[in-house]
Amino acid sequence: MAAALPVGAADGAAAVLRDTTPFGDASEALLARIAAIARPAHYAAGARIYGADDPADDIFVVVSGRADHVFKPEVGAREPLKRVVRGGVFGWAGLLLGQTRRLATVTAAEPTEVLRLDTEALVGLLESEPQEGGHVMERFATMIQREFTLPTLLAQVRRLSGPLTEEMSSLGLTMYRLSLWLKSPRPYLMLIGFSLLLGFWYLAVEAWKLPRFREMPGLTTVVKEWLSPEPTYGLSIYTAEYYQHIWMSIWRVTQAFFLATLLGVSFGLLLGWSRAFKAYVFPVFETLRPIPILAWVPLAIVMFVATESAVIYLAFLASFFATALNTMLGVESIDESYIRAADCLGANQWQVFRYVIIPGALPFIFTGLQISIGVSWFSLVAAEMVSGQYGLGYVINTSYMMVRYPTIIIGMATLGIVGYTTSALVRIAGDYLMEWRVRELALTER
Amino acid sequence: MSRGHIVIDDVVKVYDPEGAAVLAVDHCSLEIEPGEICMIVGPSGCGKTTLLNAIAGFHDITSGRIVMDGEVLCSTDRPRAAPGPDRIVVFQNGALFPWKTNLENVIFGPVMQGKLGRKLAIDKGRDMMADAGLSGVERNYPGEVSSGMRRRVEIVRALMNDPKALLLDEPYRALDSLTKSVMHEALLEIYYKNKVTIFFITHDLEEAIFLGHRVAIMTTRPCRPKKVLNVDIPHPRDYGVLTSKRFRELIEETSDAVHEEAWKAFQAGEKEG
Repeated sequence: MAAALPVGAADGAAAVLRDTTPFGDASEALLARIAAIARPAHYAAGARIYGADDPADDIFVVVSGRADHVFKPEVGAREPLKRVVRGGVFGWAGLLLGQTRRLATVTAAEPTEVLRLDTEALVGLLESEPQEGGHVMERFATMIQREFTLPTLLAQVRRLSGPLTEEMSSLGLTMYRLSLWLKSPRPYLMLIGFSLLLGFWYLAVEAWKLPRFREMPGLTTVVKEWLSPEPTYGLSIYTAEYYQHIWMSIWRVTQAFFLATLLGVSFGLLLGWSRAFKAYVFPVFETLRPIPILAWVPLAIVMFVATESAVIYLAFLASFFATALNTMLGVESIDESYIRAADCLGANQWQVFRYVIIPGALPFIFTGLQISIGVSWFSLVAAEMVSGQYGLGYVINTSYMMVRYPTIIIGMATLGIVGYTTSALVRIAGDYLMEWRVRELALTER
Repeated sequence: MSRGHIVIDDVVKVYDPEGAAVLAVDHCSLEIEPGEICMIVGPSGCGKTTLLNAIAGFHDITSGRIVMDGEVLCSTDRPRAAPGPDRIVVFQNGALFPWKTNLENVIFGPVMQGKLGRKLAIDKGRDMMADAGLSGVERNYPGEVSSGMRRRVEIVRALMNDPKALLLDEPYRALDSLTKSVMHEALLEIYYKNKVTIFFITHDLEEAIFLGHRVAIMTTRPCRPKKVLNVDIPHPRDYGVLTSKRFRELIEETSDAVHEEAWKAFQAGEKEG
């Protein structure tokens, strides 16, 4: 053992680690910390270092000499025998998903000096530097597959705690996705998309003065009006009225959307769950569904004396159909095996409904809600244009009658922004409830 | 001890008796001993899954009866068995709930039945997962781990209920041969620790002989045992068996029978399933 002392000095250990595949391009700081937990050991020629199925505790880095590494047959390595020399790393089974035992038997072929690293200590250390640590783990995975010819099935390394793992709440996961999004090129592409639209608008109306666009207000006119403390046509971000309109529309959509979600989801679950119910109701549902919202307007006005409820009713109606239909499809899409498995495991009818049908239908339900919030805005504005006071649809319609063209555009743009925000909120709520799906998608890098 | 003793007695299953009247299972009788691994081999679409569904309680039978440990599961008078945690199916394509973590999946049975509180169930689940080499993936979702690992989680989920029998419906069909070989040993390892009756459906003769105490080769539709083979290779087995002389002999003895049925199924144009 005494002969091993020199490499035990931390800088010597760091130099050895530098020669290995997993630690080869680690930073000096990380390498020094890893070297600090390395324990030197010496094995005589012919000594057994560990056997297959022993507990997988330490990872070994060869300093000098040679070790023969032989996989047990059922591992299925393409080349079961590997000679490991300086810079070689073995004993990494503890880093693999679900492995706690050695996969191979290793014997020293000549007098061999090694560094031993405690697996859990190493993982803890890597977790404290998530970015670099993750990189080291990736290099481990590559090495295990390439140098040790292990089938990919087995060669899956554990994931470090940190982003995307157990400790992370759903909200944290959403934030993590947001930070990934900000780091990706997508936000910049999005900005380019908007610039193209605005640029075309500016050029078409103000620079080229194309004939079609003669009556259109230009970009600069609209922006000036929108941001002006004293707007020519009475509506800008400085007027209280502007917010009153926005608020009114949001409030109506909120009521309509929540009512539609509550009723649409329950109705859809029932449609998908009960064949008898579907047989009675679905044909009626399918007859009413294609009727455009505008066609409902006269009836809505006759039915509801108060115009306010008529407007909400119209926005609700479109939402309801989208939600109910998608929920029903969601229930029907659930693989029969899940229900059978739950039956086998002793769940009663109600438990199957609560723990299998509802979560199973959730992805479809949220697709439905995305559509629903969109059509809710769509029909709200249609309704506001026909009747009602206040609201963005009302702004657009009255501005048209009174020839206040820039205000029309302000109303439209505001609708776009508010509508986009609400549908983003629905998406975030979906991510929050369907963490499993977010994780699956994150694994496929979507 | 007679735990997991299944008697299939003269079972007949006719699909659509008033219309096309397809005879899927024809006067099939088979006895599965307690704690035995009984392999059912037959070409795709031969009706073996119908038999499994009848035991599990997913399908009616037309006549005959199925008895487990003296309790009549289904008979001519009561054609459908009630599914329950005493005989749990492991499905062909896997049926772990993707919206639950592996551990939540594992504890689903006892918690739903109210047999264990959540806390106790979690402790037991962790222990059983560790035993099956599944530590470290408890909090992952099934979609995040390999297909081989998912199958193991599913078997652990079944064993959590202390079932009398496991009914496996070609669970390794979709796996590549390397993964399959690892899974076979993992299954045996789990079996040696928890002696339950295993009713295992497959179309792979090597798989059947490697795993089973007995192998029942079924005729193609209608399905009934054509030949029952006692595999006299002692358990515990490992992969060495595959290259042994006895194993090769048994394959030779039976492959004609299997091939004949496969040929019949091919000519009849049975669809997969």
